[in-house]
Amino acid sequence: MKIPYYPGCTLNTNAKDLQECAEFSAEALGFSMVEMPDWNCCGASLPLTANSAMGYAGPTNVLIGAKEEGQKEGLEDKLVTLCAVCYNVLKRTNYAFNKDAAKLDTINSLLESDYKGDTNVVHFLEVLRDDIGFDKVKESVSKELKGLKVAPYYGCFLLRPHEEVGLDDPYAPTIFEGLLKSLGCEVVDFSHKGECCGSYSAMSNAENAAECSFSVIDAAAAAGADVIATTCPLCQYNLDSKQAMMKKNHGDMKEMPIIYFTQLLSMALGKDIGKISFKSNSINPLPLLKEKGLV
Amino acid sequence: MSRVGVFVCHCGTNISATVDVAKVAEEMKNQPGVVYTEDYKFMCSSPGQGKLKEIIDEHKLDSVVIAACSPHMHEKTFRNAAEAAGLNSFKVEMANIREQCSWVHPDKAEGTVKSLDLTKKMIEKVRLNEELDKIVMPVTKKALVIGGGIAGIQAALDIAAAGTEVIIVEKDVTLGGHMIQLSETFPTLDCSQCIMTPKMVEASLNPNITIYTYAEVEALDGYVGNFRARIRRKAKSVVEEDCTGCGICQEKCPKKVDNPFEMGHGKSKAIAVPFPQAVPNVPVIDRDSCIYYKTGKCRICEKVCGPKCIDFDQQDEIVNVDIGAIVVATGYDTMPLDRFGEYGYGKYKDVIDGLTFERMASAAGFTEGEMKRPSDGKTPETVVFIQCVGSRDESKGVSYCSKICCMYSAKQTMLYKHKVHHGKAHVFYMDIRAGGKNYEEFVRRAIEEDDANYIRGRVSRVYEKGDKLIVKGADTLSGRPVTIEADMVVLATAMTARKGADKLAQTLGISYDRYNFFSESHPKLRPVETNTAGIFLAGACQAPKDVPETVAQASAAASKVLGLLSQETLKREPITAEVNEANCIACFDCLNICPYGAITSKGITDRDGNIIKEVAEVNPGVCQGCGLCNAACRSKTIELRGFKDNQIYAEINSLAV
Amino acid sequence: MSEEKVENKEVWTPRIIAYVCNWCTYGGADLAGTSRKTYDASVRVIKLPCTGRIDPLFLLKAFERGADSILVSGCHPGDCHYNTGNYHSRRRWTAFRDLLEFSGIDMRRIHFSWISAAEAVKWVDVVNDVSEKTKELGPYTEFQRINEKIKEYDGIFAEQG
Repeated sequence: MKIPYYPGCTLNTNAKDLQECAEFSAEALGFSMVEMPDWNCCGASLPLTANSAMGYAGPTNVLIGAKEEGQKEGLEDKLVTLCAVCYNVLKRTNYAFNKDAAKLDTINSLLESDYKGDTNVVHFLEVLRDDIGFDKVKESVSKELKGLKVAPYYGCFLLRPHEEVGLDDPYAPTIFEGLLKSLGCEVVDFSHKGECCGSYSAMSNAENAAECSFSVIDAAAAAGADVIATTCPLCQYNLDSKQAMMKKNHGDMKEMPIIYFTQLLSMALGKDIGKISFKSNSINPLPLLKEKGLV
Repeated sequence: MSRVGVFVCHCGTNISATVDVAKVAEEMKNQPGVVYTEDYKFMCSSPGQGKLKEIIDEHKLDSVVIAACSPHMHEKTFRNAAEAAGLNSFKVEMANIREQCSWVHPDKAEGTVKSLDLTKKMIEKVRLNEELDKIVMPVTKKALVIGGGIAGIQAALDIAAAGTEVIIVEKDVTLGGHMIQLSETFPTLDCSQCIMTPKMVEASLNPNITIYTYAEVEALDGYVGNFRARIRRKAKSVVEEDCTGCGICQEKCPKKVDNPFEMGHGKSKAIAVPFPQAVPNVPVIDRDSCIYYKTGKCRICEKVCGPKCIDFDQQDEIVNVDIGAIVVATGYDTMPLDRFGEYGYGKYKDVIDGLTFERMASAAGFTEGEMKRPSDGKTPETVVFIQCVGSRDESKGVSYCSKICCMYSAKQTMLYKHKVHHGKAHVFYMDIRAGGKNYEEFVRRAIEEDDANYIRGRVSRVYEKGDKLIVKGADTLSGRPVTIEADMVVLATAMTARKGADKLAQTLGISYDRYNFFSESHPKLRPVETNTAGIFLAGACQAPKDVPETVAQASAAASKVLGLLSQETLKREPITAEVNEANCIACFDCLNICPYGAITSKGITDRDGNIIKEVAEVNPGVCQGCGLCNAACRSKTIELRGFKDNQIYAEINSLAV
Repeated sequence: MSEEKVENKEVWTPRIIAYVCNWCTYGGADLAGTSRKTYDASVRVIKLPCTGRIDPLFLLKAFERGADSILVSGCHPGDCHYNTGNYHSRRRWTAFRDLLEFSGIDMRRIHFSWISAAEAVKWVDVVNDVSEKTKELGPYTEFQRINEKIKEYDGIFAEQG
């Protein structure tokens, strides 16, 4: 199975760890992600709520590109993403088009295209759940992550707005938990799995962003987690790199590693720990993994 | 040849301003069958009606067309006037040249052309109208009340007070409904049980009232004044007549079950009354949880029962009752809360709904009136009340306002404060809707005397942190986010129609709205009637209502019932279907399509009494005159009086160009 | 001014026959009057107890007698005064429209809608819309030619006695 893959702006750069581990895991599970050529920004920097054509032009171009590439190269008729923000923007673009044909017409005339709003956008998690199956993932695990207490952190983009994104129940999601369970982790249920990490105000009010991130870490720690797993490069960055700032206001705070779900996945699927990059992790997870006997 | 008189009304200038009424009257003279025409200032006035009578008599008219306002306005007026002049009232038709012509078409030329058409159309129809006689029906002087909550009890007591027999059918084990679950009632804070129990007892002692609890109406036949209801009395496994209500069976029963009356918090037994003041005070075995029904062993209740009234083999009993009128008072349900993940109901034990709070606050409830939160029994020091949970929420709930929540949340903050003096209540609200006698004052009292903190805004999240519930919301007046560390959260859940209300509506043949609330006949002028004659509504089965409104509507429904049942016979419009027995091919499409079951099969016998053919037969008492059968009939055998095919075709033909 | 009117009279105006139920749409049309809303005068209402009373032949008869368009309107689904009458009407229409289309009736000339007694504005909009569309289509001469034939044959029969 070959699926057109849209990396978006961070996956080839800051979130390379997330991507590399995903690619390894995909191969281990018998599918591959084919990066589409000549892609552009998903448009996350232009809010869809502003209802301007510009916000839609970017994602539409991506959706068209994936469809064309898929057809040309005989790939699966879908588009997989790793970044939660790209996933959110692309899905909501399709939703808007399916709800309002006039909008689609406008964008089509702008791009001189004939897009129908039908590129099937899926998140890497969905491929694992729906195409591969968590049972198969479990079978493929060569190193169970026993004893590691992981808090699955969805952040906001994967789950909301529910009717537009529709990945899972925003208040009682199960997909991330399902994957972690199949890796042998101990999944920690915590209250803030869908709360915002604060990235919206990361530029304008870093203090506030840090406070948002702290509440997530605090809730996970209270629930007994060793580590927080995330799907989103923005969440990873905010939760991870701001911990120094958090400590200033919360002196008794214990550092917690923030790890990409694909890092855990590839580890369980047998990737040599020495080959897993932890470049994006400012809190090094290795001491913890050692302590748990996983390294 | 018919002798039609045509009267064209000016309606002051309401019609004559945009319709050339004189021209209409003049031109109608040329219509076949017309022997008299006139235009007149006000046909509905006393002189106008007098003129009508005079001309009918003088010109020996056999049909009349009044070109004036809508028949919905004055058809009755003119038909009565014509009848007084000796003309059959169904030989009068109206051409609607006001509401559907002069008022909506400002161009006088266009209006006149249309008025000519409309008048001509009714002349053609009236010439084919038949003389019809009103249908006279007997009346069964007995009423049925479905539902034994405050609405049903009030209606039954009022009907019984007039000396009329009434039957209450209650699906639960006891009378009382939701009201008996409440602790205190707004805006007076009097104890619900204290004012409700006497009414329940009064109903049970009234010789005119028969009560069937643990029973449901399964089918309804007949029509206004002459209904027959089939009631299923579910097996209680206890012989009601012999039971003394001593309660020993409940005491000794080894099987504990959740008590739905206590919203799942208190425990009850497999044989039990829901609460000690139940009416009738007769326990019922819950066969789903009783050990004997599961394993064939136990029978302890049977052993300890003094009067030996346990009957494990008891069967459901079907009772058929004849009644003349029905009051539907089946009450409401609250919206299931599983869709509101943000409030954590079901996940966190200390997030409860309003009815659970009522039981907690009630002296007879599962905490004996003490404020003890469900998770650990601690006294909650801070309680957050969230209003509009599901109400006024088109995306997740219902778009209507549940009307009572503003008031009961205010009441609950008071009850809480009166029990936990140092406690603090916060209320998240969208708007405070306190329209009602002493209602606004009551809310002010909660705020000013009992220190409730009202926050205008919505709650986005409730989650647990340690033994606290963190409530995050917005204060939209100050424009700031709010976080409250609470010990307990109370959700003011939306009121919804009863589960299965749509099915009951279909059984009874009444209509219901898109929320499954039963529809009144007119939102303003016929608020307790349904569109099915003889069936009336009381209480929250029609729309969300509080206790005072429910009681008022119940008494109104009772007075409608009494008005109906005070008559010896009923007269009704003879717009009903009739069968030409010679033509009927007995396909019985009509029987299947009839929404009222008014059509049956009848055997035609020869001289020796042998059935030689079957035909359709219409029960004119049941027929409501919709004409579905007429359109469905393939042999043009069954026809609706007043709207027969030839009459409709006459109208269509009159419009030919 | 008067000359203009004479001219206007010669201009073709559509003829629309509306079959409406007594309880909902007739009430809605009345309310349009009470609210003094104005609309196109080409509609002629035939009041029936319920849309379920409508025999499909009523529609054919109306075309035969010169109607250019037909409007059928009753209570909203679930709101029928007779509980289920409008459902029968809708079902009958679903079954009948294919037959009509097959037999060559111009389906653009038949309009179906639900208008409650409170929806005066909807009544006005629907009538104006039907009238507008009918004006675009012009007179239904195809069917009216059949009518001339019928008249012709009626004449022949009459002569033959």
